[in-house]
Amino acid sequence: MTYAIQRIAFSILSLFILLLTTFLLSHVMAGDPAIVAAGPNAGAAKIEALRQQMGLNDPIFIQFFIYCGSILRGDLGTSWFTQQPIAQDLLRELPPSLELVLLAMLINLAVSMPLGLITARYAHSKFDDMVRLVVMAGAGLPVFWIAILLQQIVAGNWGLLPIAGRLSFANRSFSGPTGFYLFDSLLAGNVSVFFDALAHLLLPAIALSLLFTAVGVRITRTSMINEFRKDYVTLARAKGAGEARVMFRHVFPNGATPALTVFGMQFGWMLGATVLVEEIFGRPGIGRYAIKAVTQSDIHAVVAVVLIIGVVFLVANLLVDILVYALSPRKQRAG
Amino acid sequence: MSTLWTYARSNIERTALIVAALVILMALFGGLLAPFDPLKIDFRSKILPPSPEHWLGTDGSGRDVLSRLLVGAQMTLASTAVVLVVVATFGCAVGIFSALVGGAVDNMLMRLADVWLGFPPLILALGFAAALGASLEAAIWALIFSWWPNYARLTRMVTVDILSRKFIASADALGVGTGAKIFRYILPNAFDVLIVQVTLDISAIMLAISGLSFIGVGAQIPLPEWGAMIADGRSYVANGWWIVLAPGLMIFLTAFSFNIIGDMLRRELDPTSRRR
Amino acid sequence: MTVPLLELRDVTIALRGSNRRMVTGVGLSVSVGEVFGVVGESGSGKTLLTRTVFGLQDDTYLAGGTVSFAGRTLPLDGYMKAARKLLGGEVGFVPQDPYSSLNPTMRVGEQITEALYLAKRMPMNGTATRQAAIDVLGEVGIPEPELAFRQFPDQFSGGMRQRIVFAIALAQDPKLLIADEPTTALDAITQRRVIELMLDRCRTRGMAVILISHNLELLRQSVDRLAVLYGGQLHNIAETAAIGHHTIHPYTEALFDCIPSKGKTLEDIRAIRGEPAGAGFGLKGCAFASRCRYAEPICVESDLPLNSAAQNGFTACLLGRGAPQ
Repeated sequence: MTYAIQRIAFSILSLFILLLTTFLLSHVMAGDPAIVAAGPNAGAAKIEALRQQMGLNDPIFIQFFIYCGSILRGDLGTSWFTQQPIAQDLLRELPPSLELVLLAMLINLAVSMPLGLITARYAHSKFDDMVRLVVMAGAGLPVFWIAILLQQIVAGNWGLLPIAGRLSFANRSFSGPTGFYLFDSLLAGNVSVFFDALAHLLLPAIALSLLFTAVGVRITRTSMINEFRKDYVTLARAKGAGEARVMFRHVFPNGATPALTVFGMQFGWMLGATVLVEEIFGRPGIGRYAIKAVTQSDIHAVVAVVLIIGVVFLVANLLVDILVYALSPRKQRAG
Repeated sequence: MSTLWTYARSNIERTALIVAALVILMALFGGLLAPFDPLKIDFRSKILPPSPEHWLGTDGSGRDVLSRLLVGAQMTLASTAVVLVVVATFGCAVGIFSALVGGAVDNMLMRLADVWLGFPPLILALGFAAALGASLEAAIWALIFSWWPNYARLTRMVTVDILSRKFIASADALGVGTGAKIFRYILPNAFDVLIVQVTLDISAIMLAISGLSFIGVGAQIPLPEWGAMIADGRSYVANGWWIVLAPGLMIFLTAFSFNIIGDMLRRELDPTSRRR
Repeated sequence: MTVPLLELRDVTIALRGSNRRMVTGVGLSVSVGEVFGVVGESGSGKTLLTRTVFGLQDDTYLAGGTVSFAGRTLPLDGYMKAARKLLGGEVGFVPQDPYSSLNPTMRVGEQITEALYLAKRMPMNGTATRQAAIDVLGEVGIPEPELAFRQFPDQFSGGMRQRIVFAIALAQDPKLLIADEPTTALDAITQRRVIELMLDRCRTRGMAVILISHNLELLRQSVDRLAVLYGGQLHNIAETAAIGHHTIHPYTEALFDCIPSKGKTLEDIRAIRGEPAGAGFGLKGCAFASRCRYAEPICVESDLPLNSAAQNGFTACLLGRGAPQ
């Protein structure tokens, strides 16, 4: 039980620091919000009136308190360039990004886990050395560059996959209740839209996952190597278990847990990295939204993206920790 | 330098060392070698493919790509170096302080670092750039701001480990002061671990800086920073592939080489990594 | 004479990669149902020897000699694979550390039913398998075996865990059980209890046991014969009854002299001077010579004799000490 309390306290502390950071960014470092809000050509009197109205003459901690209050009510302010409540913008932009990140994460897990396990089993072999080199190369790839190259070569020159967007022109009118097209299309029983959406997702997801997969393989390998050194592996072999059984039944469940924590953190980082690929592939999403907001100097919209990605990050970590806890044998005693 | 060479155990590692040395030389003297003015626009000679005159061709505004790469090396690498030096120094100071003070302060600082470490640095940097205005300096500040906890955590770990060893107890018994302890015992012992981490972080920071420039919140477009060059060349990728390929390859080769060197240093210097 | 259960002749073990010879020319045999001990200081090669012989060591290989099990000689080519085939049926193994030798995320019951499945092809979820697992847990003295069946390893003490590990080996009904320092991590009283229980269960089933330990006193009370390893060399194979009574091999004698016991005065207890030699000494000269109080020039100059015939009562002493009378 103490673990749960500690974990939740940590999440609340993280949220507090996140709010403090976004507050400082949008209200302190960005210059006088009243001047920003009044727009260009505003007179001194108008600015002073706005300042009074926005509560900028209040002590800073009261401003922060008010800021937190409005955030918790779901009020993120109004966007400059979309002229809409930012919260509403984000709700629209988040599903396509999450869809992209989920697929990229799936690719990441599908590659990292088995590769990490096998390279750990055959550590210091030729195969391991080769994978290590590929991984180091992968960790040196600029995501945006590889995205451009993939788009140009695979989609442009070879015509294997669509170049940009979320759906083909023929399916342009498709929409669904959740905004996750893969899910919505299945819900509507429309398989062709499902595959269309998947085809559009593939290249951006691969580009996005490369860097993270490189790290993922390494983390999984390290974690699994630690397990292979333990005596229970010897005992499993002594029982007459074959290598496949040793790897999948014994080592994997134990080694996956520490790796899982890192993958949980990667989820938030991936969502952040969508700024590098969504624009290139012409996909709507919070990454593209953030870039637009930055180029329009829409500070509140940018900070809202920082906040929402931070929150997704915290939630993802909390979920992973709960999962790890649920998988651990120790909970049997506590429960 | 010669010590580094003796660490190398394969041709791949030797190649990485040579590439890294060339890139560093490029950053130091690239501007002197550049055959053309990297910023001079000449629309009559735009999108020229590689030729004896323009070895790597010209970009969409007729600028010589090779010259831009040579000059840009300095921007990309110097920014990376600045971020790492500041981050390592500051993080190191916080880490040692935290470990020496201990107790609640230590606990709080490390919790803070934990929270900090989590947030995606790219996004934090985006917020920074939005608040400070988009520029290479803003990108550097943003990365410094989001990266220091790595070093605070690492240094604290090393320091706590050193403080728990026997020679510190005997130093205590001899009445060695805190300052002397830091400079004579902690820093020399932490150095190896830090140098490995710095080398491994070079590629990550470089990728972050060029990424920020690519999305328009770092170095601004006419500047020959490698990420910005890729952003600039994007619209010509179909008929001027070299404009995008060249800076991307430079980023990749540099990052890859430093990854290999970092891996090699870890093997040679980090006692916790297993050797055979 | 009947065929021995396990016979090693001139077995040499080397590291993969560097080919450094860690253990050289070991010959010994263990007969059916015998309790055999292997004693040596840490680094003597005793663990390396057994782990390599049964294919459990990744970074070493059998560089020479022959290993026969129940009259069948294992091939040198693909040795590891052939040796591993013996495990989980013919040979059981109890690793050193009970705290890490059970899979922490697998229930105790499943770890035993898995052993039953692997050795006897009993279905893992069958009721008979479950009952057999519970029975064997009871047999090794686990209280409330049915509850234990459902529990995870971290809910048991070290002594209980080692019993569970033993139960896993016992469930497979092997002909030979290898116990590698099975009780080092436990306190002295638990140590004695677990060993006694283990030997008792093995004797009733007619299992042969190889008990590996650095603790000569522990072995002297539990085994019939023991092999003495030092610096990767086999120095002595002695009847335990003889130790402390007849002239014995100088190193065995030195080990015996370290043991405090009733009837010994403080002067009788002697530490062995000098530092132990690591494994990999080779065969040129006696590895113990530098610490031996009887050492003469011949001890460093001559090659150490081998127990090629895997005889009982072998002594490698170049001065002939410890030969059977």
